[in-house]
Amino acid sequence: MTNSVFSADLLPIHALIEAEQQAFIADEGGRKRAGYFCAYTPPEILNAAGLRHARLFKAGSPEIVSQGERYTQSVFCDFSKSCIGAFDKEGGDPFYHAVDKLYTFHTCASMKRAAEVIEQFVPTTLLNLPRLRNEAASRDFFRSEILHYRDDVAELVGRAVTDSEVSAQIALYNKVRRLLRDFSELRKRPNPPLTGLDFLELVRGFYYLPPATLLTAYEKLYQKLARTHDDGSRPIRLMISGSIMADGDRRLVELIEREIGARVVVEDHCTGYRPFAHTLREDGDPFAALADGYLDQAPCARMKPLDDSLDFSTGLAEEYGVDGVIYVYLKFCACYGVSKLEFLDRLTASGVPVLEISSDYSVSDIGQLKTRVEAFLEVLQGQRDDRIETNSKEHVHG
Amino acid sequence: MKISDIIGSDPWKPAPAAPVVGFDIGSRGSKGVLLTPDSIYTTFIPTGLYMQETADELLARLLKEAKLRRRDIAYVVGTGYGRISLAYKDIPYQVVTEITCHASGAHALNPRTRTIIDIGGQDSKAIKVDPATGRVLEFVMNDKCAAGTGRFLEKAAVLLGLELDKLGDVSLQATEPAVISSQCVVFAESEMISLRARGERHKDGAAHANIAAGIHFASARRVKSLLGRVGTEPDLVFTGGVANNPGMRHALETLIGARFVPAPIDMIYAGALGAAVHAGRHQAAAAAAKQAGSAAPPRRRAATAAEKPALAHTA
Repeated sequence: MTNSVFSADLLPIHALIEAEQQAFIADEGGRKRAGYFCAYTPPEILNAAGLRHARLFKAGSPEIVSQGERYTQSVFCDFSKSCIGAFDKEGGDPFYHAVDKLYTFHTCASMKRAAEVIEQFVPTTLLNLPRLRNEAASRDFFRSEILHYRDDVAELVGRAVTDSEVSAQIALYNKVRRLLRDFSELRKRPNPPLTGLDFLELVRGFYYLPPATLLTAYEKLYQKLARTHDDGSRPIRLMISGSIMADGDRRLVELIEREIGARVVVEDHCTGYRPFAHTLREDGDPFAALADGYLDQAPCARMKPLDDSLDFSTGLAEEYGVDGVIYVYLKFCACYGVSKLEFLDRLTASGVPVLEISSDYSVSDIGQLKTRVEAFLEVLQGQRDDRIETNSKEHVHG
Repeated sequence: MKISDIIGSDPWKPAPAAPVVGFDIGSRGSKGVLLTPDSIYTTFIPTGLYMQETADELLARLLKEAKLRRRDIAYVVGTGYGRISLAYKDIPYQVVTEITCHASGAHALNPRTRTIIDIGGQDSKAIKVDPATGRVLEFVMNDKCAAGTGRFLEKAAVLLGLELDKLGDVSLQATEPAVISSQCVVFAESEMISLRARGERHKDGAAHANIAAGIHFASARRVKSLLGRVGTEPDLVFTGGVANNPGMRHALETLIGARFVPAPIDMIYAGALGAAVHAGRHQAAAAAAKQAGSAAPPRRRAATAAEKPALAHTA
């Protein structure tokens, strides 16, 4: 690849991810392979058991999506169709076919139904995730679900998974989460040394690479990026908020960064910055720490109260000094599509311009997408020019 | 045409210092506007397969009409979905989206413009404009779907055996507009077919009118839904090719409960005019920069080179 899509030196990490996927498919080392869909599934347990594991979050090709649609109504999002289509024995994705066991916490209705369809292709354990994140009973219940999850994983590997193993993994993953937070922190600079596409690739690595491999590669890159010199450019700063931005679903960010030249500086979605905002407790009962930690993480819109999600979103936009927000949700998304007005109104009320985009994995609407995003950036640039003008007038007269 | 004939004798703020051109290369038709310090020239041709050829023909026509030569043109701005495919070696060229251009074009003709509905061949948009600057404050564009666009009306005209430009007039003769509930073109089309197939009034002019009116109302409902976030603050202005359809105008005014402000020119040219206005501004900025030399770059261009691509795509 000579024409890298990355601005930072991410090709070695990209290569590690590709190699890991090949090893996963080829069953190198003969370890059992586990997959999961959602950022509410603690990989700490999978790693403690010595499994090979990955989050399954690829955006399906049109063929895979339509394969998935055979099992659903059309009003399922393209992500849930992608998951089903990729597991389907006809067509499908060899990476998904290599999975020995699927774990999924019940998030939205579409993904729950997807998991129930996928059960016919691969052994699947569907676990419960409480919605009321602030209730003490939710925490106790979620802890008991995590214990079921641990027992299920132990059965898969044929040995016990001890408390101290889990505690060690919590500490290890905290370290990784902190490092990803540090990377994102660099994006608060007026001229971020890494693009939104770069950060999405780092997150992709989090979901495919073993944490030990990740730490070695990422720490080196972080040191390098932290020393990057500011060349003085001040790109327009955007936050992306909304539904999952699946592995391969890059057309919006590519359009923003590579065609238009603006920057995504932070993501309020579960495949960007959001899952790394929180650090888990490292002492005491590790299962209570997982239950609390995953419920306390920056919440998905499927959780209640929705105000927590709205507060996080507006807070993040302010923290990163964004010029505007693009709120993008998958068509038919029951979480982010249905709560879009709450997000749009709250962000607008906080003084940030927002562009709403409903999206899917087709490619036919790229022209319209481009017009919308370009026009939005023209609006933001106009506002920035006005601010520059006002400031310089104040400077002259004041 | 003299600008003073259109907007009166007061000085016209958007007037350029030198001849400039705006192109709006749409999905169905392409529009060109040439502005000189005191005149405006417009031209329209169907969009061809090759956007550059279409733009070249528009330019040739405009130059002929204005009795100018190619080298007299100081700046070109392109908009519309074909904007990206244009390139000029000899004339400075920029692209601006049609959303910004429709706002600038409507604002240039009427500075009280606050809300724009633009319906073109494949898109419809609602735009909220800052009357102080002509800048876009907020906009909503239709989904990838032909409901509420010119394409939908084209299909309906074919099914009714009418010329497209008669469809609106015929719809105004309706005695009882047919109920077409579907928001989807394909289903609306089947609804039309079943309405037509009811038979006994097949040859009846009122049936045609009623179905045509139903089509306009179905389409207008779709467009009205775009106004949700943008609002309907007056002055309300209708731009784009469909602005010439009196049936659509009537249906929208009925549903919104407000009147469009009459436009001084054919509003199919609003986008191209806005593009020409932007060309005038770019020309002025370039001239100012040249005069000031490298020692004192103009304040408006304070943005650094690396930032510029965020807005200005130099071909």
